[in-house]
Amino acid sequence: MARGMTMRIPAIRPAAFWSLLALAAIAIGVLALPGRSYSGQDREQLLASASAQHPAGTDALGRDRMVRVSAAFLLSMGGAVMASAAATLAAAGVGTLSAFSPAALGSLAMLACDVFLALPWLFLLMMVRSTLPLTTSPAHSAAITFLILAVVGWPACARAVYRGALELRKAEWMLQARAAGLRDKQIMRHVLPNLTSLLIPQFLICIPAFIIAEANLGALGLGIGEPLPSWGSMLLELDNSPMLMHTAWVYLPIALLILILLLFEGVATKQ
Amino acid sequence: MTCVADMLRWIARTLMIVMMVAVGSTVLVRFAPGYLSDAREMDSRYGNTTRVELAAEAARSASLAQMLSAEFGGWTRGNFGISRQYDVPVLELIAPRLAVTGGLLLRSIAFAWSLALCAALVSSAGRNPSLSWQAPSTLLLAVPTAAMATLCILSDCGGPTLVMTLVVAARDFKFLDRMLRNAWRDPHLLQARAQGLSTLRLVYAHILPSVAPRLLALATLSIVTALSALVPVEVVFSVPGLGQLAWNAAMNRDLPVLLGVTMIMAVAVTFAGMNPDRAGEWQGA
Repeated sequence: MARGMTMRIPAIRPAAFWSLLALAAIAIGVLALPGRSYSGQDREQLLASASAQHPAGTDALGRDRMVRVSAAFLLSMGGAVMASAAATLAAAGVGTLSAFSPAALGSLAMLACDVFLALPWLFLLMMVRSTLPLTTSPAHSAAITFLILAVVGWPACARAVYRGALELRKAEWMLQARAAGLRDKQIMRHVLPNLTSLLIPQFLICIPAFIIAEANLGALGLGIGEPLPSWGSMLLELDNSPMLMHTAWVYLPIALLILILLLFEGVATKQ
Repeated sequence: MTCVADMLRWIARTLMIVMMVAVGSTVLVRFAPGYLSDAREMDSRYGNTTRVELAAEAARSASLAQMLSAEFGGWTRGNFGISRQYDVPVLELIAPRLAVTGGLLLRSIAFAWSLALCAALVSSAGRNPSLSWQAPSTLLLAVPTAAMATLCILSDCGGPTLVMTLVVAARDFKFLDRMLRNAWRDPHLLQARAQGLSTLRLVYAHILPSVAPRLLALATLSIVTALSALVPVEVVFSVPGLGQLAWNAAMNRDLPVLLGVTMIMAVAVTFAGMNPDRAGEWQGA
């Protein structure tokens, strides 16, 4: 690989990374326990406090809170990671091709990015989410929510990649490669590996941003449909005053969500 | 002359972006899979005849050209179209709420700037980023705005301005801290420090003038952050502003209102990046 770039690949903080993996393993373990389902209802124990059967109590419909939190964690993490990967790949493609194509084409691509960036995410998400069919299934609503996040998330990343790729284009090793007679195809093979120092942080930064966006959408009633658990729908429990008087376990989702977002922030932060 | 030409080019680009946002949003809405469905069709109080009427009405507004002409026609008439939900011009709904939202945004951004600037000045003067300064902003950014607003209500302290201020200040602090930290590393400042000039004098005479041109990028960042926090804050605190109107329109599939509010937000964000040289900086923050 050519050694043109001076940017370092950020070191991933091991403690945060392993903590996230441990939490994911615990969540999978909770869901794998026999007889546990995120939609299963225990009608005898509505709004129950912690017990041996329900370690974090139950919600207003008698559903096990621990199971729902575990499922929400895995769903949002899986969805956000996939959406982030899609957004980063799209940004890598658009950013690199724009930087190495004729200036007019590059400007046009960046204009398209500016159009997306001119709209605050939440408004765009609300607009698209509100025009979904009334009969959308929960699984489809989850897929569509994360797909929309990927669609609105790539332009900021593409702009960063475009700037990085433009710098690469002017790099000395690139000039030398051209002077040595390397063809565009051969040069392009060296471009993407040199952009990983940009792409990895963009990928990591997008994950917590997408998780927060989904939680905010869900808290507004425009996120993933019930009975699929999501951070947003569980935050809605905080609006239920009688439930708050009854048990403090309703604060578990928000506490865990903050912890997970901090861990993702820790993973994404440069050392 | 070059300056005027640059400015004209920027204005043309800005107008083009706003126009493309309008066309793009309309196309996005038109081709969304549920565009033709109407929430009223699920209401059991409506009879079959009414449902047929509703379906016919939806089919009539299905053409993209018709939608675009209605959208731009609403703009030229100055009423932004007619609300499906309230059957009144969208402008009548937006106008009284603009002042509420504008006031909230201005207050929050002013407080956030003061808070973030003070914190960043103190924090950046240290040799290395200090955890005690970085941790609060990181924590604030990790809390979804809706949850922060709900927790404020539950703890009976603060209101919409406080939540918006905290969200904007946390983001601005990160940007300002990095910017000021770079400014402190300038060789002439290192030399001035070594010569024993007071920190206060350095801040007034060197640091603030050197970062002033970049404050426009901070303005864009603040506006984008504040607008993203606007909907959850206004909905949770029941503030009768544009965010609440947009949420209400989204819940009731009132697309003319949603498009109108989205356009206003797009114009605000696009015009906030007034300086073409510095406007892109907020995107990396």
